[in-house]
Amino acid sequence: MDFKLNNMLKLKTFAFLLLLVGAFISCESDLEVTPEDDDELLADGFFETEGAYKQALAGVYANLSLTSINDPGGSNIAGLDAGTGQYIRGLFNLQNLSTDEVIWTYENDPGLRGMQRNTWSSDNPLILGVFARASYEIALANEFLRQTTEARLNDRGVSGSLAEDIQTYRAEARVLRALANYHLLDMFGKAPFVTENDAVGFDQVPEIAGTELFNYIETELTEALPNLVAARQNEYARVDQGVANMLLAKLYLNAEIYTGTARYADCVGICETLIGSGYSLTPNYLFNFMADNNSNGAQNEIIFPITNDGARTQNYGGTTIIIQGEVGVPENNGESLGVNPSGFGGLFRVRPDFARLFTNNPIYQNDTRNTLITQDRPIEIDNVGNTAQGYLITKFTNRTSTGGFGSDRTFTDTDYPLFRYADVLLMYAEAVLRGGGGSESLALEYVNDLRERAFGDTSGNITQAQLTLDFLLDERSRELYWESHRRQDLIRFGVYTGSSYLWSYKGGPQSGTSFPDFRKLFPIPNQSRSSNPNISQNPGY
Amino acid sequence: MKILLKGILFVLLFLPITTIAQSTVTGTVTDAAGQMPIPGVNVLVEGSTNGTTTDFDGNYTLNNVPEGATLSFSYLGFRTQTIPFTGQSTVDVTLTEDAAELDAVVVVGYGTTTKKDLTGSVSLIGEEDFNKGNNVTAENLLNGRVAGLTVNTGGSPGSGSEIRIRGGASLNASNNPLIVIDGLPINNVANGGRSVLSSINPADIESFSVLKDASAAAIYGNRGANGVIIITTKKGRQGLKVNFDSQASVARLTDKIDLFSAQEYRDLINDRFPDRTNFLGNANTDWQDAIYREAFSSQHNLSVSGNLAANLPARLSISRADQEGLRKTSSFERTTSSLSLNPRFFDGALKIDFNANLSWERNRFAPGIEGNAIEFNPTQPIFDPNSRYDGYYEYTDANGIALGNVPRNPVAQLMQTQDIASVRRYYGNFKVDYKLPFYEPLRAVVNLGIDNSESDRFFEIDRNSALGTNAQEGEALGQRSDTDFKSSNRLLDAYLVHTKAFGDFNTEITAGYSYQIFENENFTTGNVRDPNTPPAELTIDPDVVLLAYFARGNFNYKQKYFLSASIRRDGTSRFGEDERFGYFPAVSGAWQLSDEDFLKDSNTLSLLKLRAGYGITGQQDIPSAYDYLARYGLGNTISQYQFGDQFFTIGQPFYRNAGIKWEEITEYNLGLDYGFFSGKLSGSLDFFRKISDDLLSGAPVPDGVNFSNQGLQNIGKLTTQGIEFVVDYNLASLEDFNWNVNYNVTYIDRELNRLAFGQDILVQGISGGTGNTIAVHREGYAPFSFFTYRQLYDTAGNPVEGAYVDVNGDGILNDDDKYISGNGRADVTMGFQSSMNYKAWDFSFNLRASFGNDIYNNVNSGRAQYGNVFRTVLNNVPTQVLESNFTNTPDVILSDYYIENADFLRMDNITLGYTFDEDKLGKGTLRLWTGVQNVFVITDYSGLDPEITNNGVDNTIFPRGRTFLFGLNYGF
Repeated sequence: MDFKLNNMLKLKTFAFLLLLVGAFISCESDLEVTPEDDDELLADGFFETEGAYKQALAGVYANLSLTSINDPGGSNIAGLDAGTGQYIRGLFNLQNLSTDEVIWTYENDPGLRGMQRNTWSSDNPLILGVFARASYEIALANEFLRQTTEARLNDRGVSGSLAEDIQTYRAEARVLRALANYHLLDMFGKAPFVTENDAVGFDQVPEIAGTELFNYIETELTEALPNLVAARQNEYARVDQGVANMLLAKLYLNAEIYTGTARYADCVGICETLIGSGYSLTPNYLFNFMADNNSNGAQNEIIFPITNDGARTQNYGGTTIIIQGEVGVPENNGESLGVNPSGFGGLFRVRPDFARLFTNNPIYQNDTRNTLITQDRPIEIDNVGNTAQGYLITKFTNRTSTGGFGSDRTFTDTDYPLFRYADVLLMYAEAVLRGGGGSESLALEYVNDLRERAFGDTSGNITQAQLTLDFLLDERSRELYWESHRRQDLIRFGVYTGSSYLWSYKGGPQSGTSFPDFRKLFPIPNQSRSSNPNISQNPGY
Repeated sequence: MKILLKGILFVLLFLPITTIAQSTVTGTVTDAAGQMPIPGVNVLVEGSTNGTTTDFDGNYTLNNVPEGATLSFSYLGFRTQTIPFTGQSTVDVTLTEDAAELDAVVVVGYGTTTKKDLTGSVSLIGEEDFNKGNNVTAENLLNGRVAGLTVNTGGSPGSGSEIRIRGGASLNASNNPLIVIDGLPINNVANGGRSVLSSINPADIESFSVLKDASAAAIYGNRGANGVIIITTKKGRQGLKVNFDSQASVARLTDKIDLFSAQEYRDLINDRFPDRTNFLGNANTDWQDAIYREAFSSQHNLSVSGNLAANLPARLSISRADQEGLRKTSSFERTTSSLSLNPRFFDGALKIDFNANLSWERNRFAPGIEGNAIEFNPTQPIFDPNSRYDGYYEYTDANGIALGNVPRNPVAQLMQTQDIASVRRYYGNFKVDYKLPFYEPLRAVVNLGIDNSESDRFFEIDRNSALGTNAQEGEALGQRSDTDFKSSNRLLDAYLVHTKAFGDFNTEITAGYSYQIFENENFTTGNVRDPNTPPAELTIDPDVVLLAYFARGNFNYKQKYFLSASIRRDGTSRFGEDERFGYFPAVSGAWQLSDEDFLKDSNTLSLLKLRAGYGITGQQDIPSAYDYLARYGLGNTISQYQFGDQFFTIGQPFYRNAGIKWEEITEYNLGLDYGFFSGKLSGSLDFFRKISDDLLSGAPVPDGVNFSNQGLQNIGKLTTQGIEFVVDYNLASLEDFNWNVNYNVTYIDRELNRLAFGQDILVQGISGGTGNTIAVHREGYAPFSFFTYRQLYDTAGNPVEGAYVDVNGDGILNDDDKYISGNGRADVTMGFQSSMNYKAWDFSFNLRASFGNDIYNNVNSGRAQYGNVFRTVLNNVPTQVLESNFTNTPDVILSDYYIENADFLRMDNITLGYTFDEDKLGKGTLRLWTGVQNVFVITDYSGLDPEITNNGVDNTIFPRGRTFLFGLNYGF
């Protein structure tokens, strides 16, 4: 009895074991997992919803402002601090910080000293940030174009007005890609040549440089133009024909630098088109740089804003770093700029050479563009780390035109005016002076339009004789300082490198020293060349 | 409550209802040296499954013993005795201690073996070898005990540790060893808890097996890369045994960072910054004293084991640990309960082991305020009656509003921050080990495991704090968020074991299947006080599914020649279809030379065994899994983009690497076990070399062709080689006096052989500058090598500020002039333990030493410059500035001047105990003990503590105190 029971039990136990194993063994298909989070989707699943196309387009634009999809402290490019790698901040670093317009207090931040003293190496993280961020923009645009081919759209059954809208989106994506390529051309002289026809992965694509790259960008823009909405007719902050034309104007103005062949006549022509596109100067210069510059009238002047919002588009680049960085120490004037009282601890001051554009002639006391804070401050900066030396500016602010505040004290609402109509007027004048045809009297009129706005009357107007290239270089800085133009301008005017113009800390020492011509182009970052040896290093590095 | 119910149900479900009839053969087993009864001795009729264990008094009763049979008596650490049974009704036995412990049972993956049969490099640490003292977390029982195993525990209460076996094998993926508790591999994520091991009661642990080389770890396939630590918990036994253990301790700060005292600071300002004297206050505050305290801790354990219901061996334990941290407000509280049921049926043919653990952990985290305590002006007070910030002094503007970019009052920061995490965790396993009735050599084993944890973390900064978000000037919002974590880990292992001897040829073959699934999610409200933070968000990680088939054969001939071979086919859901599965083979052998005729009779050499092993393991625990999928992410509310008047959610593709796969580690091990004078002197020597290939590194991606410029790729290669030597010497083994010492030393050399495109990777952020790094991964050097400028010194030997060697001689000093100047990892680590008994007294201590490790002193490099004294307000700086005379931080922060040698010798603990035995107490034994932990450190390092994690970057630490302990242990 006992024995039998034992045997029965033994068998039962064995059967139980088998059952247990059977019940829990799962097949290998369990290794096939899918994201379960509602913010993470497989590509095909993502494009199932109709709204996805605009979300993806917003993704291509957003890279000009955001550094990640959910965290201003996070970044989808690596090798440098998240905020430092933001698109606009990268432009600011290379186009402004490497010039006479601004100095960065904290030289222990990696790459900063090399940048603002023009001694950068090909390991400089700020340079890596710009190369990678612009290339990432190209990758995003390509992905958008890849996902919206006719075949793909047909597969997903997209038709009707959405399909039409998508054609416009595609043209916008091409302009954004051209914008990134233009930035690479301007700063590196070359770009990785990658289009929607390349696969996503690790292909070492060829480079495209100089004239070839110039022509590619020109063709892209020209081809995109007919599919774009007319200037000023698209939704705010989206690309329209005005943006594409502005890019062309920039290309033509600098064509001699990029290709060796001047295109000033084309520049004049395209500026004329822009001038006829309905843009207008906002009556108050400073409205362009305020928290409500998307609605205070500045939207009529700003050709292409990169949007920022303290609550909804948070990043540590763009106008956030600029406005927080403007706050002076010991002034702690953050409140008046709409941010925390001490801002980022006195990050920026202007170099004396820039300050003198406003201080050398007393008439500029009445120039609204002169936002210098000079009280209790020496103009010279003997010690870069001493926040009490050097003048401050207050051009950009997180306050609104009615005195209100932006939506947050850390992240600003102010949109960054990547391209402004005022620049078109100055470009026209310059192209005319450089022999591009057009009208010299119109050129003078346009320049005086800007002066009248700046001075509030004609007291600052200049004469035809005063309208010289040298004057324009200074005037461009007075009008466009900290808007990522300065390096390009100095190069075009032949004074960026060499010893004809020495500014404070140029080339290293406070007195300034010359640096060689090869530094007109930045080096291709070592990291980028290591992963793609097809991108050749620029001479001199 | 729900978990508790589940736990109870789980227990009830498996409560066996059978009992087994028994008859009588009795006896007592005693210890030859001390004449004390030995509980828990295995008594077995040889060649059968008929067996039992002795009770607490050393008594046993065994049924159905046939005449002519041989009784075998075995116990961990004693020589097994065999007695022929000739019908005696009483068989009393005395066992002699076996210093070499060759018969010790060693738990290896999916089975056990004995120390004698081992072919791989495996260390067994049983309870008697555990470190004594205030060990709140399990890994501290092991620290310094095992050659090749380093444990670096932080100073915070209940702190987790950096555990490395043979230096770890990876660069970017995890370097943590796989931890297996009773067959259940646990997840290496401590959601809300202090660490993955912090919820485990160390007193429930019976032993650790450390599988160090690949030939041993390969049975864990794509998870064995960093070695394996197998934890075996205590089981129920026959015979009632009660143990109560209690200890209390107090910890004190051992050292502080050298700063200017209030008076010294006044002198400094008057002397060097005469125009800033108006910033001086009238107080005398030592901010370091203000943030630390004497920390009290206590631990209590109660365990009862014995037969529950007739013949059901069971063990129940409850424990409570309360630990205060030296940093004010920080604390760790833990309550655990553990139940183990271990019934045996059919004369031991069917073994069921059930283990259920419930653990509650409550942590209060204190924010890291050391930086502010260093910098805060010592002439300013802690409190200010006029302050709007709860009466704490803060730097303010004229309106009394706190300034930005100035140090915050560290005391206020501690008191105004509440960061409390509660963790509930239950884990356990149910194991059935069944010797099949119809074919005796075959056993079937099924192990089910579960590990669930839920935690919530509450974070609040007071509205009256200067730290919170500013809404508008003067309006502080504080900060507040709640985060819930949930994770679960379920396991099924099923395997068959076939054991058979063919004459002198013994075989054991194991084959089986393993399935494990991990689920993870967290919910966070974000900062609900800030209107501009994203709304509450639930994040669900994709499940991780691991599935494997494995087989192992252990063979030996005459117990002299051993061979072991295993293979595992492992699959993981972390990789794409083509890369999902891998094979992980291992083979190892051993030759017991001392059993050969020419050595057998040696009186000197009692053991000589040569071992050799080879194996391949993998590492699939990578930081960002699922890169193989083409995924899109949707932006959150703070990451939208504006078109017109509308803000749009953005969609962006993620970085893609379709070919991502596990890291592969190939390891060779050559070893030697030795014993002299009947094992009085014993130990081992191991040489190993492991090559980590296909290392996942965040490698550059060609720009523009993927959705990042850097992403994980299988590119790197790292070679680690080393030598481990262990010696254990039984100096005295007398009736009244025992003394045992143990020494181990490990030498490790790590070198990166290949990186993506040969490109340096800058790593290891430091404080002082946004995004600054101090280390580099470079081919030909160890990972995380310090990468600095080479300081120039004047003729008097003083450093010249900002002057460096132009290493490449191009006339420009830039990034290209940095060179490799040290490494945070030790080349040589040592452990030494001594334990002594004299009559009722016991005395033990242990020492650890580390050589060849450097530290980058970021406390000084980022602060000890005169330029930091005035930044908006007056700040204190380390007095090291008097030595360097440096002014400008940016000029010096990357200087090798701040790389210091951090060799050290530390006495971890020393204890003295006295045991009152039964004669004095009447019943049971009582041990009273006292001890000191972190007794002393000898080092040249100028900072607080030479033992830091963070790859050798010292940027202030949670200090380790010196702890004074008192404890008692009562058992019967």
